[in-house]
Amino acid sequence: MIPINQIIALGLIIFVIGLFGVLFRKNLMIILMAIELMLNGVNVIFAGIGYHMKSPVGSIFAIFVILMAVAEAAVGFALALSYFRQKKTYDLDEISELKG
Amino acid sequence: MIQSIIFYIFAALSVLLAVLVILQKNVMHSVLYLSFTILAISGVFFTLHAEFLGAVQILVYAGGIIVLYLFVIIIVNLKEIKAEKRNIFPKFFIVCISVLFLAEMIYIFFKNRISVPANADFPEFEALFEMLLSKYLIPFEIASILLLAVLIGSIIIARRKLLHDSD
Repeated sequence: MIPINQIIALGLIIFVIGLFGVLFRKNLMIILMAIELMLNGVNVIFAGIGYHMKSPVGSIFAIFVILMAVAEAAVGFALALSYFRQKKTYDLDEISELKG
Repeated sequence: MIQSIIFYIFAALSVLLAVLVILQKNVMHSVLYLSFTILAISGVFFTLHAEFLGAVQILVYAGGIIVLYLFVIIIVNLKEIKAEKRNIFPKFFIVCISVLFLAEMIYIFFKNRISVPANADFPEFEALFEMLLSKYLIPFEIASILLLAVLIGSIIIARRKLLHDSD
């Protein structure tokens, strides 16, 4: 058995890399990718806990997280496309106005 | 033993490739490294006895979401994207936030011994689907409604507004 602390540490490291990407980058597409990385880190922790419980519950919750990630990606791409048609850029500093 | 070695290989690969995802200047390279990261994490899932999860990861992420990213990036003109600049103080602040968050979480998780209640043996492969379609049936159906809403909503958001044209 792989120790659960190492699995949780792996998930946390991937999550924090994603968090760093969300905070650090200004490109909208890379921020969406970093959000995918954060969700994957959570999935690793779910799978690890399911592995230690020897129960399929971890996989089930991770599957729901993947479903939510797909929904988030689709709506995020739609928003990014409509945003790009208006501003012709993916720089997040240009989106800082509230006027549509 | 061999399982631990495979786990460490995939874990190191996924962390390395995840760092490469957020450090690329070119968005297309970033998508490439994201797909490699997804495959490495699915390898981690396979070593954790979550075979169905690993297969879903490869199918949905590497087959669906990565292709969506490629389409969206191909649609726009990459040359119009400006280089990003940021001052030194926000950079330092962001690095500090991330490092502090990681240190705090690892401190919390390693200070307390984590013990999870375990069953006697690994479950049958069918147990996942029986549980998904009996105990977790309502979240499953709500997830399908969510996907339908996403389908309609993303089309409405992303379409070109042609309704106000005279012709």
